[in-house]
Amino acid sequence: MSATIVESKELLQTVVASLVAGVGITVVFSVAIWGAARFADLSRGERPTAAAAAAGLAVLAGLVTLAGVAYGIVIVASK
Amino acid sequence: MSSDVILVIVVGTALAFDFTNGFHDTANVVATSISTGAARPSVAIGLAALLNFVGAFISISVAATVAKDVVDAEVITPTIVFAGLIGAIAWNLITWSVGLPSSSSHALIGGVVGSAVAAVGFDAVIAEGLVGKVLIPAVVAPILALAAAGIAIGVVYRIVGRQRPGVVTRGFRFGQLISGGLLALAHGTNDAQKTMGVITLALIANGTLAAESDPPTWVIVASAAAIALGTYSGGWRIIRTTGTRIIKMDAAQGFSAQGAGAAVILASTNFGFPLSTTHVINGGVMGAGAGKRVSAVRWGVAGNIVVAWLLTLPAAAAIGALAYGFTAIFGSGALGPVLVTLMSLSLIAVIFTRRSRRGAPLPVS
Repeated sequence: MSATIVESKELLQTVVASLVAGVGITVVFSVAIWGAARFADLSRGERPTAAAAAAGLAVLAGLVTLAGVAYGIVIVASK
Repeated sequence: MSSDVILVIVVGTALAFDFTNGFHDTANVVATSISTGAARPSVAIGLAALLNFVGAFISISVAATVAKDVVDAEVITPTIVFAGLIGAIAWNLITWSVGLPSSSSHALIGGVVGSAVAAVGFDAVIAEGLVGKVLIPAVVAPILALAAAGIAIGVVYRIVGRQRPGVVTRGFRFGQLISGGLLALAHGTNDAQKTMGVITLALIANGTLAAESDPPTWVIVASAAAIALGTYSGGWRIIRTTGTRIIKMDAAQGFSAQGAGAAVILASTNFGFPLSTTHVINGGVMGAGAGKRVSAVRWGVAGNIVVAWLLTLPAAAAIGALAYGFTAIFGSGALGPVLVTLMSLSLIAVIFTRRSRRGAPLPVS
């Protein structure tokens, strides 16, 4: 019985981690792409401040994506 | 001497199984990247093989589950492990022959359980481990990947839907180099570990390793190399059949499917759940497809996967039990395994020759 409870807990953690990582990484990366697309548009429209902000958001979201991937690998490797 | 011969046969058979696992899984790992134009086939396959190799080194949780939590290692013999492997390989060949998308991971566990029951009885099976660590995760994981990919693609379209398609497509194609690499890494770590677990089980059964031992380094290296070589060899043959098998997808869908699949496999690997990686990847692909348009998904493929899932464990178990029964006729020495190996190799040669002439797709794992 105790083993089943432990595995239920682990399964629940797997479900939560999968949803958070699977959805989260994709959504954050799409924010990076949104920023890159807005940067391209705003640069053409000669709005340098807004373009720089969009570029900053794109870079930040890209870095968060990479950090999330690295964190996931480290978690699995460290067990 | 006799037990050492059996052990060598078991290790060789397990590595051959691992090679075929990589061989017929290549398409599942790289098809999404190739079909969306994110990577050329040569790049995608080479990267997948390399990351399969690397992935095998990052965890041993799944190997521990296969070696210690499914059957009682103290009553297992190398011959039982051998018969289980024969059950798995035979079932894979049968399903490949009829085009049923079965799971070699489930076949492996089913085969070992079946041969253990035939040899020792149901006491050899650790029911809690089999149900809690294999059967339930096997059901949950593909559904989880489907849900994660479906939710993700829905949000992604809301975020980037009004942006220029060219920038968005190029961005997600670039992203697929990361998500595809992560998927290959995840695939390597979960699937290679099953072979590590089976070889470790045989080494414990033979008395070469102490009970509760972890896989030795040579087992990890050999398993990693076998699956990576299989992945590299398999890509060229089956890439065309799987590229658009379930759905024709765009780069955002490809990224969502790969991201969800990798997340589920890595999270499961962390807790030692041995999954059918292909069922998870296909779940992600279906979720990403359904998130855009439900009718775009070929749901018949999903139906075939469910049928294969229901059949694989009991069928591989039955063949594993038969293989053990046949081997036992020749006593506990090496003669039985040697004869079964020769018969299996002959059968494999016949099936491969007949099937390759017809250009059939390979089974999934």
